[in-house]
Amino acid sequence: MGASDLDRQIEQLKRCEPLTEAEVKALCLKAMEILVEESNVQRVDAPVTICGDIHGQFYDMKELFKVGGDCPKTNYLFLGDFVDRGFYSVETFLLLLALKVRYPDRITLIRGNHESRQITQVYGFYDECLRKYGSVNVWRYCTDIFDYLSLSALIENKIFSVHGGLSPAITTLDQIRVIDRKQEVPHDGAMCDLLWSDPEDAVDGWGLSPRGAGFLFGGNVVSSFNHSNNIDYICRAHQLVMEGYKWMFNNKIVTVWSAPNYCYRCGNVAAILELDENLNKKFCVFDAAPHESRGVPSKRPAPDYFL
Amino acid sequence: MASAAAWEGPTAAELKAAGAEAIPGGVRVKGWVIQSHKGPILNAASLQRFEDGLQTTHLPEMVFGESFLSLEHTQTGIKLHFNALDALKAWKEEALPPVEVPAAAKWKFRSKPSDQVILDYDYTFTTPYCGSDAVVLNSGTTQTSLDGCGTLCWEDTNDRIDLVALSAKEPILFYDEVILYEDELADNGISFLTVRVRVMPTGWFLLLRFWLRVDGVLMRLRDTRLHCSFGNGDGTKPVVLRECCWREATFASLSAKGYPSDSAAYADPNLIAQKLPIVMQKTQKLKIPN
Repeated sequence: MGASDLDRQIEQLKRCEPLTEAEVKALCLKAMEILVEESNVQRVDAPVTICGDIHGQFYDMKELFKVGGDCPKTNYLFLGDFVDRGFYSVETFLLLLALKVRYPDRITLIRGNHESRQITQVYGFYDECLRKYGSVNVWRYCTDIFDYLSLSALIENKIFSVHGGLSPAITTLDQIRVIDRKQEVPHDGAMCDLLWSDPEDAVDGWGLSPRGAGFLFGGNVVSSFNHSNNIDYICRAHQLVMEGYKWMFNNKIVTVWSAPNYCYRCGNVAAILELDENLNKKFCVFDAAPHESRGVPSKRPAPDYFL
Repeated sequence: MASAAAWEGPTAAELKAAGAEAIPGGVRVKGWVIQSHKGPILNAASLQRFEDGLQTTHLPEMVFGESFLSLEHTQTGIKLHFNALDALKAWKEEALPPVEVPAAAKWKFRSKPSDQVILDYDYTFTTPYCGSDAVVLNSGTTQTSLDGCGTLCWEDTNDRIDLVALSAKEPILFYDEVILYEDELADNGISFLTVRVRVMPTGWFLLLRFWLRVDGVLMRLRDTRLHCSFGNGDGTKPVVLRECCWREATFASLSAKGYPSDSAAYADPNLIAQKLPIVMQKTQKLKIPN
């Protein structure tokens, strides 16, 4: 597959037209060769633009690129949760993956908790693949690729980026570097925590979710992690915030959310975080794509004789 | 839910024939003013207000705090209202014990940080809410009560909502679906509170539904149906019936009956309601104030 093939595929995907099954297979093989070389704590240079959850909202991701600039001109870091919930998980993930293969040094994709076989079977990506391709092969190729996605990124040794958050099993970045990530997201352990955990105001140290699984971490945990690893702050995604981004614990951690009008009904704005070469921060806030351009009916719902 | 067919609303002839009038966000018909409003999820400032008001730091991820459905009968002062804040007050009051997810079994054997705090609140946001009611007095002041017998009185009855009559394809003068809150249980399922209404020439009907699925563990469906029959003319008192039906089942019990045990099979509560055993059911009639 040459650069011109890839360029054609990228143009096609930008129109929200999916690739053929054979093209997806070839693209995934190529992506695997690139991703396998990446570290669990992938080094990223500034300037870079950090993006949170997308969740298959393809037309809103196009808005994101309008605001942030095209790849490769802009260097991007996506914090996972490309798929599920929205209508266009296939096109969204394939476009990001094609950009990764075409410009490996200008876009970094790390894994979110939705990049998993189990979760995608419940929350939309599996069904979408089946509906759009008539078979689950594309879902298989994509979920196999998910296993190769890096777990975190480190920007200029100063900003630690991860989808969910911290783990009580992790105090140093080196402990992340030695995780064997090439597997389905486990139900517990360090890898699970990095993709699933949340910061929580109500605790200082560690909290356990009332669900009996899932860690919450407080301000003290973040302070000591940042201090021991000599980083300025943590940038993560994973939680919906109405304003698009939210600082916690005296600017020691920030949540970035990049799916505007989440699930096409929340009315929230989205944000991306632009860091310049000196790591100066600029949050760019953006709205959802207008209804007409996204192929979703904007009229009021048809009445139904519910009982 | 997005629907393929767009609806342009009732025709002028349909409204006229029913003696109804379209008003902003609703309809005026047979002495009732029925209105809905849909807003975005709470922003940081309103979230703080809700947290203070409810004295909790844990709220659903998506609280549509400005959204509501309101039905007001001008002559009697009856006002029925459906909103997230009151529903969450009822959640806080019921305070069910947390439900453990399947992974919790494994987590019990994890080495725990020494300073770990176990959070204890009903993260499923299960609510017994069946609507808020009030009497709007002539002076303009409103007495409100949260559900149950307050200013409005609901009496147990053997009457039933006539679902057969409601199946008739009468013209729909007003229709809406308003989501009050929603939570993804951190990708462990769904918790969803929504109210739907349809207004026809002979009466209005609404369904307030709390739907919970904790993947691999349990499902709860708490439906409240309200039906108002307009009667023959403006002079007659309306008859309002309220039917609460709570259903609940564990995945284990469904699987034992030969039903599927994967969560994907239980995406649409409409399709699976009948499979869930009823745990509570009651019908009440609204005592119309003089």
